[in-house]
Amino acid sequence: MDITLFLFQLMNGVQYGLLLFLIASGLTLVFGVMGILNLAHGSMYMVGAYLAWYFTNTTGSFGMAAVISVIIALLLGILIERTLIIRLYRRNHLDQVLLTIGLIFVFNALQSLLWGNDPLGVAVPAWLDGAIPLTDMIEYPVYRLFVSGLCILIAIGMYLTINRTRLGMLIRAGESNRDMVECLGVDINRLYTLVFAAGVALAAIAGIVSAPMVSVVPGMGEHVLISCFVVVVIGGMGSIKGAFVGALMVGIVDTFSSIMLPQVSSMMIYILMAVVLLIRPKGLFAN
Amino acid sequence: MFTNRAEKLFIWVFFPLALLMPLLLDQNTYYVNKLATILILSIFVMSLDYLVGRCGLVTLGHALFYGLGGYLFVMLAPEYEAVNFWIYTFYVLAIASVVALIVGFIVLRTSGIYMIMITLALAQMCFYFFSDSTEFGGNDGVFIYVKPETHVFGLNLFDLDNPTHFYYLCLLSLFNCLLFFKLIMRSKFGRIVDAVQENPERTTALGYNVFHFRLASYVIASALGAYAGYLFALQYGFVNPSMLSWQTSGTALVMSILGGLGTLYGAILGTLVYEGLHYGFEHLTENWLLPMGVLIILMVLAFRHGLAGYLESLLEKRK
Amino acid sequence: MSSNITLESGAPVATQAAHKPLSDTEVVLETEALCKYWGGLKALDDLSLQFRDRQLHGIVGPNGAGKSTLLNLLCGTYSPTRGRILHKGEAIESIKPYEFSRRGIGRGFQKTNIYPSATCLENCSIAAQRRVGGSFNIFRSRHSEKLLTEMAEQALEKVGLAHRRDAVASRISYGEQRQLEIATVLATAPCVLLLDEPMAGMGHEESQLIIQLLKTLKQDYCIVLVEHDMDAVFELSDQLTVMVDGQHLITDTVDQVRDDARVQIAYLGQGDEVI
Repeated sequence: MDITLFLFQLMNGVQYGLLLFLIASGLTLVFGVMGILNLAHGSMYMVGAYLAWYFTNTTGSFGMAAVISVIIALLLGILIERTLIIRLYRRNHLDQVLLTIGLIFVFNALQSLLWGNDPLGVAVPAWLDGAIPLTDMIEYPVYRLFVSGLCILIAIGMYLTINRTRLGMLIRAGESNRDMVECLGVDINRLYTLVFAAGVALAAIAGIVSAPMVSVVPGMGEHVLISCFVVVVIGGMGSIKGAFVGALMVGIVDTFSSIMLPQVSSMMIYILMAVVLLIRPKGLFAN
Repeated sequence: MFTNRAEKLFIWVFFPLALLMPLLLDQNTYYVNKLATILILSIFVMSLDYLVGRCGLVTLGHALFYGLGGYLFVMLAPEYEAVNFWIYTFYVLAIASVVALIVGFIVLRTSGIYMIMITLALAQMCFYFFSDSTEFGGNDGVFIYVKPETHVFGLNLFDLDNPTHFYYLCLLSLFNCLLFFKLIMRSKFGRIVDAVQENPERTTALGYNVFHFRLASYVIASALGAYAGYLFALQYGFVNPSMLSWQTSGTALVMSILGGLGTLYGAILGTLVYEGLHYGFEHLTENWLLPMGVLIILMVLAFRHGLAGYLESLLEKRK
Repeated sequence: MSSNITLESGAPVATQAAHKPLSDTEVVLETEALCKYWGGLKALDDLSLQFRDRQLHGIVGPNGAGKSTLLNLLCGTYSPTRGRILHKGEAIESIKPYEFSRRGIGRGFQKTNIYPSATCLENCSIAAQRRVGGSFNIFRSRHSEKLLTEMAEQALEKVGLAHRRDAVASRISYGEQRQLEIATVLATAPCVLLLDEPMAGMGHEESQLIIQLLKTLKQDYCIVLVEHDMDAVFELSDQLTVMVDGQHLITDTVDQVRDDARVQIAYLGQGDEVI
């Protein structure tokens, strides 16, 4: 592998990792603050992709579609938290698993009911549809660069929110101690709704920006969910920083193993996870 | 041995009825096969129920062993030669136990949500291993051309190509499985399994190595889960990666809750009702997942003790 | 293998004078420069103590003095940052938590820690089975062994709960649950009993019951008692250690400790607990 090809693949790996980070950060945030394991998190990614497809076709603009989809995702998050998740706070993990499995069933059924089961494609918006030549032979798509940039922006935004704002302080406090947040006179329910909706939106954004890069198919949510589990387990449950490092590791390992070890490529990230677990049973950045 | 009233009632109704079923159905191949599948699934769900309900170990990767049971047979048995069912049962149980020992060693170091995610991830790893492998037919899986024989001392007890015979083999297996788990729970080992589930901290302080008991339970449940997968593979004459998918694990978990977590016999009840609903919804609508999903959500919110719990409270009231 | 198991702990019951000199009996448990730090916080710093057979060693101190930390170290729940724990002269600070009980170091918890859904007898049977063995036997019924049941019954008898044999543990009174917890520890045939506030949350009468129980038990066992009830500690202790902020202040007989000026200043004169 020469150096340009290596760089090309590295960029792909980082881009995939950043996308995974978006989804995994939502998962880990919801768990860290609320103690909820949301298996339907992958479905939110799928919903994002399908909404992006639907609204791109109806409005004719990907940008417009993205905005509408994010708003719908936020509302969906609020709805789910207020009606269902709110009943789970005092329940055990098993109940959380089962209820969110039920949600996966519902979302999969709705997807097939509303949009059918054929693979769908979303065109890359014209203003991002180009490629930057890396060498004479290889060029890198602008859209992928855009996605990476967007993910980095969101990551920075999250970092600033969590470390520099009052909301972030509450989130950090909520992670360590629920009672303390309530002592501060904050309506914990509002905080939870907000965090859950944000988590859903993060997954949906990942789905929206992925739509032009992958084919929009049934089951895409579950696949990505399990990759996110690997990310979160590697990084440490509840740690955003861990999710970032874990996502990049998984993205890069996955990309390179599919070129260098194609026979076992889809297993590599799980092997990576097992190795990390044997060394650090609670993940790299566990609290 | 069966002390609980609801349990007694269920066993006295279910097993005699199940024995007569092929006669009642007039040996209708489709339904006898369908019921045999339910019996097989019941074994799988019961093994999971023991793990989740009796040992407090929530796993979302039990399908790993279900699939392993099927694939082990394909790996071990010669392609065009009938092998002995009992010997291969032993092989499957033994090898699955060794795999469970290794997997358990990794996953039982963790607990709670971590364990849920790691078991799921490991099962998924095996899913990809089999679906990517050309040797095992990738996504299409592998066919089993010749079914094993069940000779014991020259006597062929079951003809596995005959659906009714196969049905009775499954029923016998299920009954033995239930008996085995009840035996465990009544034993000295079961005493500590109960203790670990109820209060692991105290049990450690009393000098027990909690990890060893969990590992032993994990191996037992996994081996029986593999046995169920082995039966499933023999029934349909093929194995494919979907046996290992997370849906298989998730559905089994739903069935065991529906039946009444930790009751063991509830696993049969849960599987029966879930499969019945599945069958019914499928005939109503193409999108059977929708009513099923809604039902699961409602079950978690309002029906927490499962069918066994419901049955018990009914009997309690009538007393 | 069950034939050579005795129902009593190894120590013979001796008739003893009310006050024996401190060096009278064998040292069974010992800490040497024991430290436990949580990050920068010194929960326990440089503690060297000796616990003797057939004596009750009281440990007192204000909240945060490191008493519970000490118990958690002595029974293996925490591992020490530095220092050693010696059991009959052998270093045990690095063995696994479950091995402490096997060595005869039994532990009672601050919050009642029993198996609430099991009967009292079953609670003790779980403990006794550790000694009898066969815990991996999946064929032998849990109710089949006479020896095991006898051992469990004997433990219940020792704490005066024989009449509650078949009651479900969650249904008996709080005081009885504390007694039951001690019974389960006794059923493991310990030589050391580590008790963390066994009288917390009890009424006067229930406390008296536990005090009487401990008086009997200390004739056979080495008891380490962390307790806030000062009257009880003074009444029971053969040796008394006062700790403050993770530091050792003094270890002596009750009378000596009571008169010590440092104790008056550091603890007894100020805290909520007034003598």
